[in-house]
Order: sequence, then C-alpha cells, then structure tokens
Amino acid sequence: MNDSIKKRILVIEDEKHIAEGLKLNLSLQGYDVTVAENGNTGLKTWKSWQPDLIVLDIMLPGIDGLSVLRSIRLEDERIPILILSAKAATDYKVKGLAYGVDDYLTKPFSLEEFLLRVDRLLTRLSWYEENGMGNAGDGRGQNIHTFGDNRIDFSTLIAHGPQGEIQLTDQEAKLLKLFVTNPGKPLSRQKLLEIGWGYTRGTTTRTVDNFIVRFRKYFEKNPKKPVHFRSLRSIGYVFYSNPETR
Amino acid sequence: MTRSGWLFHPILILIFSILALGTSLFLYIYWYIEASTGLKSLVKRFNIDAGQVLESQTWVVILVLSILVGIIFMGIFIIFVYNVKTLQLYRLQHNFINSFTHELKTPVTALKLYLETFAKHELSREDQLKYIQYMLYDTGRLSDDINRILNLAQIESKSYGGELETHHLENAINRFLKNNSRYFQHCRISVSNPAGNAYLYLINPSLFNMLLMNILTNAVKYNNSKLPEIEISFEEKGKKLYISFKDNGIGIDKTEKKKIFKKFYQVGSSDDMSARGSGLGLYLVEHIARIHKGRIMMDSPGLGKGSTFTLILPLKYSL
Repeated sequence: MNDSIKKRILVIEDEKHIAEGLKLNLSLQGYDVTVAENGNTGLKTWKSWQPDLIVLDIMLPGIDGLSVLRSIRLEDERIPILILSAKAATDYKVKGLAYGVDDYLTKPFSLEEFLLRVDRLLTRLSWYEENGMGNAGDGRGQNIHTFGDNRIDFSTLIAHGPQGEIQLTDQEAKLLKLFVTNPGKPLSRQKLLEIGWGYTRGTTTRTVDNFIVRFRKYFEKNPKKPVHFRSLRSIGYVFYSNPETR
Repeated sequence: MTRSGWLFHPILILIFSILALGTSLFLYIYWYIEASTGLKSLVKRFNIDAGQVLESQTWVVILVLSILVGIIFMGIFIIFVYNVKTLQLYRLQHNFINSFTHELKTPVTALKLYLETFAKHELSREDQLKYIQYMLYDTGRLSDDINRILNLAQIESKSYGGELETHHLENAINRFLKNNSRYFQHCRISVSNPAGNAYLYLINPSLFNMLLMNILTNAVKYNNSKLPEIEISFEEKGKKLYISFKDNGIGIDKTEKKKIFKKFYQVGSSDDMSARGSGLGLYLVEHIARIHKGRIMMDSPGLGKGSTFTLILPLKYSL
C-alpha cells in the first residue's frame, strides 16, 4: 500500500475459520481489518469504526447479509461492498447487485482473485476522493425526492408536505428512504425493522407502526385515508409514489 | 405465482374435477331416469308387460354408476394427496440442497483459503500449526458431512444394524465426550446416573456415536447462551430407560416439535437464509434410535427456554 494511512476493511462473516483466514490475508496485504460475527455487530462496527470497504457474507445469524447491505445503502451509497457467498444462483447475485453491492464472489473463491478485487475497489474509491467527489461526511450526497406534492431533501433532512416544512430525524429519513426507493413493493414490518433498525429484540413491530402514523401526518393530505403510505393487511406497508398511475 | 398460475393450482383442479364428476353423475342419472320414464310410457302405451323388469333395473344402474363415480373420485383424491406429498418432499429437498451446499462449501472454502495462504506467504511455525489445526477441523467437518449422506441410505433400510457390541452406556458417552472434546471446548457437559446402575446394551458404536454427535452438536449450535450447558442423565421409569439430554439452547416452537424429525426438515426457510444445516441430523437420530429398539422424544418449554431430547430404551434389553 502506498497510503500512509492503512485502509480499513470490515469483514462480516460468521464462519470463524474463513473470517480469520480473510483477516490474516488482508492484514498481510497491509490493510487494517476488523471481523464482525453477525449482522448486528457488523452494523454497529460499520457505524463506529467507519471502514473503507466491507466484505459481507449472506448467510448470517440474526439479520441476513442482504438486509445488512440494504441497511447500509440507506445511509451510505458509496462505500464499496463485496459479497462473499456460498449462494451461486444467479438470482442471488442479481438481488445483491440490485440492492447495491459492488462485487459478488462465490465460495469457494480464489484468494488471489479476492485480493485483486478488494484492491481494485479501494483504488476506485481513492479516485473519487481525489476528485473531491468523496463527500466523505455521510455519503448521502445531493438527494432530493418528490412524490405527490411532497418533497424530501435527504441531504439536509428537510421535507415539505401539506403541513409545511418538517425537520426529519435520522431514523425517519432512513425509513423514508427505504420506502421511496422501493415504490409499489410490499415491505413487511419484520423487514422494515431489520433494515431500518438493524433489528434488535427490544424493538417491537409497534415501533414501525408509530413511524407510519408520523409519515402519514407529514405527507398525506388526509392521514385517515392515506394514498402514499398504505397498509397491507397481515403483511406490512407499501409506498406509492404516484397513487393514480399505479 | 403468475396471474394465470392460480388456475393450475392443484386444489382448484381437484375442486373442478370433483364438480365435473358430480355433475356428470347427476346428468347420467337424470338422463337415465328420463329415458326410462319415456320407455315406461311407451311400454304403457303399447301395453307391453315389461314394467317390473325396468323398475328393478333403474336402481341397479344408479347404484353401479354411483359406485363407479365413487371409485373415480377416490382415485382423484389419492392422486391429489400423493401429488401434495411429492411437492412437499420436493420443497424439502430443495431446502436441503440449498443449505447442504452451504454446509459443504464452508469447510472447502476455509481449506482452500488456508492452502492458498500457505502457498503465498511464509508463516511462522506457530501460525502454521494453528491454521493446520483449523484445516484438520474443517476436513473432519467435511468428512462428517459426507458420511452423513453415505450413511443415510444404509440407515434407512430397517435391517441395518451393522455389528452390535455390548457396551456400558455411561462409559460409552463419557468416552465419546473425551474423544470429541474439540467440538465441545466452550461448553459444560455433565453426565449423571443417580441410580448408579450399569446399563449394558447391545449397540452399534459408530451409529450410537453419530446419534450423540447430532444431539450434542445441535445443543451447542442452536444456542445463544454465553456458556452452553448440556445435562445428560439416566433415569429408570417403569420398564424403560430414559437418557435425557437437556440443554440451555434456543428451544423450539411447539408447532415445529413434531416436524424436526422429518427428513430434510429445517427450522426456518432456505429462502430467507434462516435455515442452517442439512435437515438430516435428527432424522438420522430417530432412525438410529429405532435400530436400537428405542425411540427419541423432544420437549421444549418454548422458544428461548432450552430443549430436552430423550432417548428411550427398553430397560434391561440385553443381558
């Protein structure tokens, strides 16, 4: 590595031997590596340690890898994520790529290939940073979303709805982003919890309902008859950006 | 499912064919009665003396038709049930293949990773030994997986007993724990035999070990406690010997209790990646218990409250 500062890599992998093997090799390449054994600690470490790249397994105890990926992508679009998974089926790869993964390697993989891909992803990241496109602060970027008469600015967390201007909290913004990036797709309370909160056992599904009540108050002309944030009986919720044309 | 897919749903097809069959039976009888009344009036008009023969035949014909339709109905129903069962098995097998490939790929991945590391880097002797231990463990894991599949066919045939030897069960368990201590390094396992009797049984040692391995590794694998604990105890009840394995693991939901011994069954689903393992372990355990003329029972007070597996053997079965 040419950089004086070591690049940080977070490995989220529950198989101890694989995790340690990855850590060993990446450290020998000159990276600073931390291992997280499950999705929950993975998300926590990602927040507190702010790595430059994430190596992610799909089959994880607790929150699965794809939910971890979606959760991270809600807050950070840029951080390179490489999936290492035993799932070789194309639909898993497509799913991963659709949720915003940068690279997908199937197990068993070749060590050399893995290291080269990691190196490449990090090099590309450093180009962005050199060009000043890094926006390293939070990676949210300029991101304005409109639906109906509503407007949400995800970079300033300010929304405009029928009630006027609203200052959104981080958690609200995260959940909103999940909805607006998945229009027309039913989202179960369970998935919302997993992705939005990194599902901890203490959080109940009622929490999700409370947020929906708030969103309806912010963005619906008539919160009692919602057109954007609709309930799906015994499933969860679905968001429609243009209710008329669905 | 596609929008037109529901048209081909087996239950709908069953309902349609039963309706069609019922209607056709009704129409048969209706037309038959129509025809015979027509015939009767004809007979009357021309004063032919055959009325009684006709009348007695009507009911015979209706009866025969109903029986035939009944048989066809039964046939359709049986085919339906078989179809549903095959579909279930197919789904379970799909589950099995999905998660078993994961089970097989994981040790292979680790082995490949370390071998390539060894080829690439000069590691210290100490590190080498550490990683060689890992590789040995993974090789063991791989060969266990392979054995499980290979043994499956043999164990499924009921006659399989292999070579039976007389063993002191308590000692057999203790020996097993000693030989396989590497699997149970971070947990506490206790064996108690309050009655103090020596239980001598004819067992197939390798199968018996497989049974212990499956129950004990499950207790450790499905366990979120800081220190997994397993209490193994012997108890005599009536004419039976109860060997129970009580753990402090994640327990199991009541609805899943009966299903866990089914072939390929796994708690959770392979699609959301919550299922782990092969779905064969407990199926094998049950078969091994049967080979030893015993049975296996599972009880759990609920999710998160641990579970108890009990091997029930006839008391003083041998010697």
